[in-house]
Amino acid sequence: MVKVVCSTVLSVPVEDVWKILRGFNRFDVWHPAMEVSQIERGDSPDRVGCIRKFRLADGSELREQLLALSDEEKTLSYCLLDTPIPLFNYVSHISLLPVTDSNGTFWEWKGRFDVPKGSADELTELVSKHIYNAGFQAIRKHFETQQTIDNGPHNFSRVPE
Amino acid sequence: MARVYVSSVISAPLGVVWDRVRDFNGLPKWHPRMRESRIEDGLPSDKVGCIRNFKLQNGDVIREQLLGLNDYDKVCTYGILESPMPITDYVATLRLTPVTDGDSCFAQWSAEFECATDDESELQNRLSSDVFQAGFDALKQHFGS
Repeated sequence: MVKVVCSTVLSVPVEDVWKILRGFNRFDVWHPAMEVSQIERGDSPDRVGCIRKFRLADGSELREQLLALSDEEKTLSYCLLDTPIPLFNYVSHISLLPVTDSNGTFWEWKGRFDVPKGSADELTELVSKHIYNAGFQAIRKHFETQQTIDNGPHNFSRVPE
Repeated sequence: MARVYVSSVISAPLGVVWDRVRDFNGLPKWHPRMRESRIEDGLPSDKVGCIRNFKLQNGDVIREQLLGLNDYDKVCTYGILESPMPITDYVATLRLTPVTDGDSCFAQWSAEFECATDDESELQNRLSSDVFQAGFDALKQHFGS
């Protein structure tokens, strides 16, 4: 079992970050690795148990199921159901906490999974660098851009490249 | 049940900050409001169940018991046994978490307690600013953040 924990601090209020991250079907809008996402069976993306099907930039398709969603704790958990990448028993947790003395956000994104023998390092880097840390950077850039052009806190548009 | 929650980011690695705060008898070394702490009965300060007996700068005496200490997760939990505050069932937790994309850590300090409704907001303000935030400010100053 491999465990990956990544965390960062953002200088925006936790409510603003949560508005974006709680959208289980909206990761394709902000995450650079994700192309097109849709929820199967027309379920609502905040219905626990719903499945998102999405495509990566390289064309591979993945399916992930929402395991837990809490607006109270600002946490989100999901697992991989189908993937061409050899990540087995993959479960991921996102949690946001307020940094009260600066009105910022502490964001932790962690995952645990099994991998084929010999590929732990490569897949750990894939998850930590290209999924978690790339996500941190995209959201940070989004808020920086937003502050510059001041298009309002809830008007989320595609993160510029 | 009243609750207080304060959090901050300290610009130093997790292990270094934990070294500074894990000593249950070490409050006067890093917290500006505390002085003259001792552990009762000559117990070691990392023995869960030990009691620290310390004075605030104003002379008030507080006795607190170590309820849990976790070097792996960097968590310290303690409860108040005696204090001049009109408070009961006070349990507080200080927790450090690494910020992996910088050489810093996220610090959380929270408490739950019972008190008279009239006293609640004043106690919350005192604890959050004079105790928790004052402690974080001292750590931030010490580590230059």
